[in-house]
Amino acid sequence: MNKSRTLALIALIALIVLAPRSWAGFVVEVTRGQDNAIPIAIVPFAPSAGDAGAFDVAQLVADDLNHSGRFKPMSRTDMIEQPHTGASISFDDWRRLGNDYILVGQLQPQGADRMTISFELYNVLNRQRLLGYQITANRSGMRLAGHQLADMVFEKILGIRGAFATRIAYVSVQGQVPNRVYRLIVADADDENRHTVMQSNEPLMSPAWSPDGQSLAYVSFEGRLSTIYVQTLRTGERHVVSAKAGVNQAPAWSPDGKKLALTLSTRDGNLDIYVLDLASGALSRITDDPGIDTEPQWSHDGKSLYFTSDRAGGPQIYRVGLQPGDHPRRLTFQGNYNARARLSPDESQLAFVTQEEGAYRIAVMDLKGRGDTQIITKGRFDVSPSYAPNGAMILYATRDRSRGVLAVVSADGRVQENLSSDEGEVQEPAWGPF
Amino acid sequence: MASEIKENSWPIMLSIGLHAAIAAALLLMTLVSADRVSSERPAAPVNAMVVDSQVLKSFQRAQAERAAAAQAAAQAAEQARAAEQARNAAAEEAQSARIAAEAKAATEKQAAAEAKAAEEAQAAAQAKAAEEARAAAQARAQVEARVAAARAAQEAERRAEEKRAADAKAAADAKAAEARRLAENQAKADREAELRRQIAEEEHVDAVEASPLRDRYLASLQDRIQHAWIKPPSARVGIKCQVQVTQVPGGEVTSARVSQCNGDAAVRQSIENAVYRASPLPEPPDPALFQRNFTIEFKPDE
Repeated sequence: MNKSRTLALIALIALIVLAPRSWAGFVVEVTRGQDNAIPIAIVPFAPSAGDAGAFDVAQLVADDLNHSGRFKPMSRTDMIEQPHTGASISFDDWRRLGNDYILVGQLQPQGADRMTISFELYNVLNRQRLLGYQITANRSGMRLAGHQLADMVFEKILGIRGAFATRIAYVSVQGQVPNRVYRLIVADADDENRHTVMQSNEPLMSPAWSPDGQSLAYVSFEGRLSTIYVQTLRTGERHVVSAKAGVNQAPAWSPDGKKLALTLSTRDGNLDIYVLDLASGALSRITDDPGIDTEPQWSHDGKSLYFTSDRAGGPQIYRVGLQPGDHPRRLTFQGNYNARARLSPDESQLAFVTQEEGAYRIAVMDLKGRGDTQIITKGRFDVSPSYAPNGAMILYATRDRSRGVLAVVSADGRVQENLSSDEGEVQEPAWGPF
Repeated sequence: MASEIKENSWPIMLSIGLHAAIAAALLLMTLVSADRVSSERPAAPVNAMVVDSQVLKSFQRAQAERAAAAQAAAQAAEQARAAEQARNAAAEEAQSARIAAEAKAATEKQAAAEAKAAEEAQAAAQAKAAEEARAAAQARAQVEARVAAARAAQEAERRAEEKRAADAKAAADAKAAEARRLAENQAKADREAELRRQIAEEEHVDAVEASPLRDRYLASLQDRIQHAWIKPPSARVGIKCQVQVTQVPGGEVTSARVSQCNGDAAVRQSIENAVYRASPLPEPPDPALFQRNFTIEFKPDE
């Protein structure tokens, strides 16, 4: 009797204690992550039969992703097998080798001159197929096709449109005076496939892409005086758009491509910002200040300009509306040197050159929040920032062993890399549109 | 010759009859089948019938001739045999009378002897029968006595067997009842022990959950996943995503599924990948803290 009563009591307690428990309180909070490059295996694509010299598309994709700093392609020598289709991927093996993603593909000739690239991208961790496409290109277009493929992979994994299949322009300087040669060069975004657009023994400066990517505006001193030209890339035709007495400087295209903002000098040598209507040649003055106002940059709505001015002493970044009577507003206050502003494609950031500890470095300022400024490069002479059209990277000029070279840094400063260049002293890079 | 014919007359008749029957049957079959298969079977059966009818007629002729000859011979033999029989009959009659007288005398003498012997035999038989009856009765009595003894023995044995069985059953029942009682006691004790154990375990879980061990486990999971999360550029401050994780003992992640999330596809993918990359997850400092299913909340603060 006594025993069964005890049992009943225990059962009652058990019922209460063992009632369904909720683990809702067990939540792991993650507030930080890594800036590591994402490990990806880019397996060499199956070459087409009888075409051993086929372009190595997979290598180009791997190089693109590697240069972006956001991916870490696996070394080919570490690959224990080389699948070419999703069906033959041993996911567990690729995962053990440390990969998050894998790209496989193959080339198939289409007639004498064309090639079809078939490729598939997989998430190794959950075995999902993320991409499965074919690109057909002629042999001379294989490089572009590879960049487009890299763009797709970049966008699928990072959620950002890739900008590998875009172009850049810059000025290269070789030789010593009086045999110095200036070249205006247009190249693929990886600085391959270079073409000289213009060559001169006098300085070339400030190349600027038209919004449609068809033309470049630039400054040439070929007549010993500064002149602004617009040159159509496909035909090589060019024409003078500004050859005023004094300084003609720093052309910048309006978002609709119909106007140029530029810097002109008055007779007394004062530099101010003007807007030139390309169709009519009409010129309107935007700034009127005794200090130097230069390096204009359009807002995306075309209604205001960012520019550099030393009206307060040292150079600082200002913004001015284009409506008559609008007054410039100063944007930068940290440090005594902030110049050459460039607006990010989403207008959330302003990149510019700042001086820190006697060095010139690239800084970005948050335009959406409290205007926080972050210095994102670590060189001694990092100048001329230019956003990639996807806003993810900033191209700039720096010095590597006393030679001017191109470099890229992610817009958040997490990854930075120099692009090797054998084109002498490289200056004033400008990243073209999509 | 004539007697042969007479003796063989039945077989001959039978033969003739059979032939006639066969002929008739053949004729009938021919007539019947003629309708059906006249085209297939031409005239062969009709020819056979003709042959048989000729044979029949020749037999009939021979039989008539043989019967006439036999009748004449039989009449002559009968007359000779009657004369001979009359001669012999007289001699045989005299002989029979003499033999009969002698036989009668012998028979009477033998009958007397036989009567005496029969008398003696009957007496002996009666004595023997009495003796046999006595012996039989004695034997029957003996058999009955043996049977009775055997039956008694069997019965005794059966009773003994029944008793043994009953005793055994009683013993077994008693044992089973004891076993049942013991088993029930044991089960009760087990249930009690199990309940006590569960309660103790729950108390232990409650205790460790309230202890710093729980925070230590949470911290080790956080650390592992933060190291595994490669943050995409879109994972900025303001992003808040939850992923439901299932692990098995040993920490291997079997499922990671983003539930609520205000991030883009890249953020979602990076979060799921982070959990898979972190697999196997760290083991809890106390097994009671193991969570098969739990939530990870991603809230980048930079």
